[in-house]
Amino acid sequence: MKILVCIKQIPDMASKFKPNAAGSWFSEADLAFRMNEYDEYAVEEAVKLREKDPASELAVLSVGPARVVEALKKALAMGCDRAVHVPDEEAYRKDPWQIASIIAGYAKKGNFDIIFTGMQSQDRGSAQIGPLLAGMLGFSCVTTAIGFSLEGRTATAKRELEGGAKGVVKAALPAVITCQLGLNTPRYPTLPNIMKAKKKEIAVLNAAELSSEAALAGTEKFYAPVKKGTGLVLEGGDAAALAGKLIDVLKEKTTVLRG
Amino acid sequence: MNFELTQDQKILRDSVRDFVEKEIKPIAAKIDEEHRIPQELTAKMAEMGFFGSYIPEKYGGAGLDAMSYALLVEEVSKACASNGVYISAHTSLCCDPLLNFGTEEQKLKWLPDLTSGKKIGCILLTESDAGSDVASIATSYKRDGDHFVINGTKMFITNGGCRGTGILFATKDKALGHKGLSAFIVDLSSPGVTVMKEENKMGIRGTSTAAFAFDNLKVPAENLLGEEGKGFKIAMETLNGGRIGIAAQALGIAGGAFGRALEYSKQRKQFGKPLCAFQSVQFKLAEMYARIEQAKLLVYKAAWMKDAHVNYSTESAMCKMCASEAATYVTKEAVQIHGGYGYIADYEVERMFRDAKITEIYEGTNEMQRIVISKALVS
Ligand SMILES: Cc1cc2nc3c(=O)[nH]c(=O)nc-3n(C[C@H](O)[C@H](O)[C@H](O)COP(=O)(O)OP(=O)(O)OC[C@H]3O[C@@H](n4cnc5c(N)ncnc54)[C@H](O)[C@@H]3O)c2cc1C
Repeated sequence: MKILVCIKQIPDMASKFKPNAAGSWFSEADLAFRMNEYDEYAVEEAVKLREKDPASELAVLSVGPARVVEALKKALAMGCDRAVHVPDEEAYRKDPWQIASIIAGYAKKGNFDIIFTGMQSQDRGSAQIGPLLAGMLGFSCVTTAIGFSLEGRTATAKRELEGGAKGVVKAALPAVITCQLGLNTPRYPTLPNIMKAKKKEIAVLNAAELSSEAALAGTEKFYAPVKKGTGLVLEGGDAAALAGKLIDVLKEKTTVLRG
Repeated sequence: MNFELTQDQKILRDSVRDFVEKEIKPIAAKIDEEHRIPQELTAKMAEMGFFGSYIPEKYGGAGLDAMSYALLVEEVSKACASNGVYISAHTSLCCDPLLNFGTEEQKLKWLPDLTSGKKIGCILLTESDAGSDVASIATSYKRDGDHFVINGTKMFITNGGCRGTGILFATKDKALGHKGLSAFIVDLSSPGVTVMKEENKMGIRGTSTAAFAFDNLKVPAENLLGEEGKGFKIAMETLNGGRIGIAAQALGIAGGAFGRALEYSKQRKQFGKPLCAFQSVQFKLAEMYARIEQAKLLVYKAAWMKDAHVNYSTESAMCKMCASEAATYVTKEAVQIHGGYGYIADYEVERMFRDAKITEIYEGTNEMQRIVISKALVS
């Protein structure tokens, strides 16, 4: 079994974001980066699958600037066998189509049976990479998996549907699975495994050689929303009355509470 | 010159931070109240490799560097200072002298059980009449055929109650002063070893601080650590490294208290404004943060020097002195920023304030650190 997991490094979401000089994306100055949360679920699921079959092999791939090597090393410390870095200082300017094309350019030659990705990235949130990749490779695709098992060449995945309902889908390998919160609890890289990861291979590939696709959609502008001050403050009356008002508002204006 | 952590060190710090956030922080108050670190947590920390961070892989450790070890103790201590010293005393004061002064046979025999957390390590130096003055140790040893016989008492032994592996210091003849001291590797579950007392303390209440009596304790001759008569040197060199651990613990306590104080100052409102809008609170925060950063530079530098194998005794004394004083200062101000709530046990800064003080005392009081530093300057 050959397994690939695709990861992205994203800024700490608690950061203060500022537009870059061109106003095209956020500025990376003063930001701390970490592995995209959904990709952690993907790595964990891939490592679990890898551990079940000692003959299998698990590669982790990331497209991005030099800093993403840290995320790759973390994935290696979590249990991936080898890493592939596609250096691209301007990855943020590429659209999902281009990124997926680069990954597909690599995956085509890799004979992978299964590819895990996060459901979406926490920063861009397009949720396109997994499905695009499946399309480009002719793989089956299951998105937003919250449960996963494999029997022979058939993957079974549980999916969370709108409104909290669950669905179960079966897909023939080769397949792309995009991972959602709830799928698993990612392991912490242990100290001995951080050390062992230092000896694992990180191959460096050239993005231009993997794909020369042009963008289908470009980001025009990145800006903070204008403050509108539409927040609602409930005041006056006792706690019970306030709670009653809050429940009415939640029922009326949100989907948090129903009927 | 480069002040950046390496990618591997950052991965380690973040991994430890995530672990601490989920596994230690939620039970830190309970550890303090119940005066014990739960066995399940020790098992989880062992699995994470916390008990063998910089010990070579050959002996069951992770084989990382001293810098990684400092980061580990710092991150753990941000949430729980008891766990910080639990790891630090075990690693710096027991595994470290074994690694530096042990024979290959001794290392292979004793280290794997320590690095796996199966046994918890400690150092037994202090006695009722020998604290700062290590050379006046009265616990005695006598050679008797293929073993040594040890008699005497020890006190204030961190991790003592775990009854794991101890590095014990005893004298051949008290009249010889520091030249009479030798170090022994002791299995503290052996007959002849009695735990006399568990101390009730101001802070780091999750750790065991035990008093021991040794009554004709038989130690096999092969358990002599280093050369006979070299105990004083072993103790001093061991404490050198240990100070980085305690400094990292202090840095963690300070960092933890600062984080809580900053957060609180943004949330608590008085006179219609958050506390952090008042300049006197802002200045406190600035002073606290600057002292933490000063201490951090010294701690990381000492760890870096240890990794570079250059003499770091002055730096380790300075980092322990400055970080511990930053910890007592910052925790005191953190309580102040919390006002009355800071005095209440429901708020973590109350515990941190109590935990901080010991870092100015153990592994050489700060007065002793000043002696070490000034000796290097004027001699
Ligand atoms: C919680 C806790 C854990 C401990 N863990 C361990 C452990 O694991 N193993 C171990 O062996 N010991 C341990 N100790 C002992 C600790 O290291 C000693 O308490 C410490 O070194 C000070 O010794 P003392 O208490 O005898 O104080 P003293 O040496 O009596 O000192 C009292 C005061 O006098 C000052 N003083 C002493 N001599 C001088 C001098 N020459 N010049 C100026 N000032 C001086 C000191 O700085 C201090 O302020 C622990 C202690 C505590 C409280």
